[in-house]
Amino acid sequence: MNIRPARVDDLMGMQACNLQNLPENYTMKYYLYHALTWPQLSYVAEDNKGRIVGYILAKMEEDVTPEDEPHGHVTSISVLRSYRRLGLAKRLMVQSQEAMATVYRASYVSLHVRKSNRAALSLYRDTLGFTVKDIEKSTTLTERMHMRCGSPLKHLAR
Amino acid sequence: MPPAGIPPKRALPSKEASLFKEVLNLYETRQLKKGLKAADQILKKFPDHGETICMKGLVLTHMGRRDEGLELVKKGVRLDLTSHICWHVFGLIQKGEKNYEEALKSYSQALRFDKENLNILRDAAHLQTQLRIFDGLVETRHTLLRLRPTLRQNWVGLSVAYHLNGNLSEAKKVLEHYEMTLKNVPDYDVEHSEVLLYHVRVLEELGETNEALALLDVNAKSRAIIDRVAIMEFRARLLSKLGMEDAEHTWQALIEQNPDCHDYYRGFLSNRGIDLGRVMTSGKHRSQLIHVYLDTVTDENRGEALKCLRDFADQHLRASAPRRLALNLAVGDEFKALVEPYLMSGLDKGIPSLFADIKALYQDSHKQQVIEDIVEALREKLAPSPDDTAPASEPTTYLWTLYFLAQHHSYLSRHQRALSLLDQATSHTPTLPELLMFRARVLKRCGDPFGAVRCMDEARCLDLQDRFLNTKCGKYRLRAGLVEEASEIFGLFTKKDAPSPGADLEDMQSLLYLKEEADAQLRTGNIGLALKRYMAVQKVFDEIEDDQFDFHGYSLRKFTVNVYIDMIIWEDHLRSHPAYVYSAIAASQVSNLTDAEKKAKKKAKKAAHKVHEETKKNKGLEPGPVKDDDPDGTKLMKAPDLLERAAKLLKPLSTLAAKNIDVWIAIYDVSVRRKKYLQAVKALNHARSLDPANPELHIRIVHLRNTITALSELPPAPVSPVLSAAISTLLPDELSLEVFNSQYLQQHPGDAKVTLAAAKVSRILGAPREEVESAVFGVLADEEHLTIKASCGYLFRKLFVAQSVLELLNEIHSPRADEFRAACDAKFELSTLFKPASEILAMRHNVLEGDIAKEEVEKAEILS
Repeated sequence: MNIRPARVDDLMGMQACNLQNLPENYTMKYYLYHALTWPQLSYVAEDNKGRIVGYILAKMEEDVTPEDEPHGHVTSISVLRSYRRLGLAKRLMVQSQEAMATVYRASYVSLHVRKSNRAALSLYRDTLGFTVKDIEKSTTLTERMHMRCGSPLKHLAR
Repeated sequence: MPPAGIPPKRALPSKEASLFKEVLNLYETRQLKKGLKAADQILKKFPDHGETICMKGLVLTHMGRRDEGLELVKKGVRLDLTSHICWHVFGLIQKGEKNYEEALKSYSQALRFDKENLNILRDAAHLQTQLRIFDGLVETRHTLLRLRPTLRQNWVGLSVAYHLNGNLSEAKKVLEHYEMTLKNVPDYDVEHSEVLLYHVRVLEELGETNEALALLDVNAKSRAIIDRVAIMEFRARLLSKLGMEDAEHTWQALIEQNPDCHDYYRGFLSNRGIDLGRVMTSGKHRSQLIHVYLDTVTDENRGEALKCLRDFADQHLRASAPRRLALNLAVGDEFKALVEPYLMSGLDKGIPSLFADIKALYQDSHKQQVIEDIVEALREKLAPSPDDTAPASEPTTYLWTLYFLAQHHSYLSRHQRALSLLDQATSHTPTLPELLMFRARVLKRCGDPFGAVRCMDEARCLDLQDRFLNTKCGKYRLRAGLVEEASEIFGLFTKKDAPSPGADLEDMQSLLYLKEEADAQLRTGNIGLALKRYMAVQKVFDEIEDDQFDFHGYSLRKFTVNVYIDMIIWEDHLRSHPAYVYSAIAASQVSNLTDAEKKAKKKAKKAAHKVHEETKKNKGLEPGPVKDDDPDGTKLMKAPDLLERAAKLLKPLSTLAAKNIDVWIAIYDVSVRRKKYLQAVKALNHARSLDPANPELHIRIVHLRNTITALSELPPAPVSPVLSAAISTLLPDELSLEVFNSQYLQQHPGDAKVTLAAAKVSRILGAPREEVESAVFGVLADEEHLTIKASCGYLFRKLFVAQSVLELLNEIHSPRADEFRAACDAKFELSTLFKPASEILAMRHNVLEGDIAKEEVEKAEILS
């Protein structure tokens, strides 16, 4: 699969991929907001017909406390079930993190995941080298875990 | 004393004047209640003060009292027609209603009375951009820059305005001026970096390649441009254009950076004069063939290209791109040598997409055969011998081999073989969702929608947390006409507080859902609901068009200019998206149904409804209906301007999808109903230039002649002769329709769709029923000899034609309809589409038996 920086005309394909795959969805405006604020950070995987089969939608964290360093945040990452086992998620993550580091001097990247989402959790922890930073206390059943991946490229050496 | 130049009716005594200022401040800080109070205080003494009335209206609108607010604003404007505040407020309200054209008019009025108001100028610029009034935009941006030259974004704004207006050299000049005015740019400034990259782009688009490269290099070196990937991509492209030596090295560096990006390999080879071309789909259907254009690959340079790709593959062991690209290029024994390890590695790793990845190679029948031979041989090797009870040596490789072969054979329309392979695989590993998913797909292709639903549901149950399986399952249920059952499935993943699963999917702009649900509603005769869903697709595109508005200001503040320009271009082509095209055509067809056709659909609905009542018996409580003043689209269907709306939907497609013949057929249908005969003829001429033999076109040409002949009076003088002339180019006057029809049939023997179209025309021309019947009975024999038989979608097309024939026979109340149905049922073994109605009813009833209780358990599991 072809992995390349996301363009504006990929956003609808990314949205379709997200809706098919994940329970957290966004309207087009939010995708546009990412693309027009951090145009370097999102990547897509496409098949040979140009269909988006995976993507990473990423940004820089906007509310950084004074003691914290600038860091990236993965809003959403997903690969269609039928395109798994190709290592696409990892490759997308590598490209995005490298852009975070070179363009915005990000020192690490964070993301959120529902504690019950076993498949995603294993991807982030085991494949992508994320560690659990804290668990958001929540009154509902769906606790969110806050994960981070330290020096972006260390865990992801190709 | 009021300052000079203020009309007496606007002037306020100092107490009220400062109160008015307070109103403005309170509004700015959104302290609406206080603002309202202050405005009322002024109005107590000066009830006709236009500006205060407008401000009050604005505040009320923000408080949700829209109608009242709008009335006041209009009143305020009338009372003070020369106040920029009044016009500005009016403009704001119109902008809020997304009535951009009227808003811009109000802003222009406001600017007449306050030429240098920055807020109004900025808003006007955004409106001009949204409306693509670029001449005006350039002017507005000029004024803004003149008034505030120290504001960086005003320079970039002017440059972008020139760019959008097609004046790249002025855009360049503005950027040069801008860069000269800059002082003390901090290191590592992303915003500055983005502007410089924009400057490089402008130079590249101007064809000033050397200058673009120089600007890029200087600023990359000084680290003023910091986006490394962008630097390398620009650099590689510019160097290649200039034919410079360093180009190759830069492409290599890009490959180093991202060895999975096909574009970089293409760039590298193209730089050596080897153009790999593009893999492109032709036609609008996915099932249609894919064409790979290997433009400049010759037998001489093929070896060189393959060697390059081999070297890259050796350097990047885990990158699949160079290996996959090589398969496009290689021929003969070399292809075999390359494809074998590619396939083996994919099967060993159990990569589910392996077949999807390589099937584009199948347009070369030699490659197809080589692949089949390799994988079949592997299957034989790995298969456990029948007398040996020991398990296969490579059990998972064997499994994925069977899976691959099932896809391979189904793609080539060998569905029985595919199913038997899937049987073997499933008995080997019963819990792999992919096997069941693919079985569902094979059954769908064979015309067994209910069997497909059942399989997909089994797949879903193997991994309940996976939304992908859930989506597929819902989609298959919709394809089988199980609309409510689909909604239940979607509801397992949609927001719990949404009024309904469908409402959440619509809010989230799921085009897949809206299209499939609309189609399902149409098939089951709910034309109102179908139209409603197709219109919902249109609404999504309206929303996306509106979305850009906020970025006209935002992107300039963020200096993300390149991507902003890309967005503008993308928005201009937005409605070429397949989902828009499809639903616009479908909506126009539904809008265009005649009363008789509507009746027929309703009949279908009644039958379906009966089935539904039957299947409903075992279910628990249904979710309450969505609150909606037109829940089933009845009002929508009765709208007096239905056809005008349909025409409006189709309008953008005459430029954005001009190569799609269905677009022109739809435009014809709507135009002719609206009695716009010239438009209608033009549409048919377009259609003919795309495909003169198209069956739908043939029917329309006859329809047009009949319609015009039947007119009691011809259109007035300038139209009439043009019309007759245009018609006679489609169909010579002296040619009778009967002859025209039989010529058409003779020119395309053995084409089922042609046979059907000609039969429909005979019917229109009043041929006896027996003649129509015997004509269409022939379609079952048609196409058998065609070479496309061995391709994906072949069976699907045949099923479609057979269904259309059956529909026609039913329409003409043919006594032979059931005979045809039975013949189809016997012919299409795996299909259930031609079973007797009672059997279909029973299948529908049985397909999801016992599912509901199970779903309750699943809900708990997904949430856990």
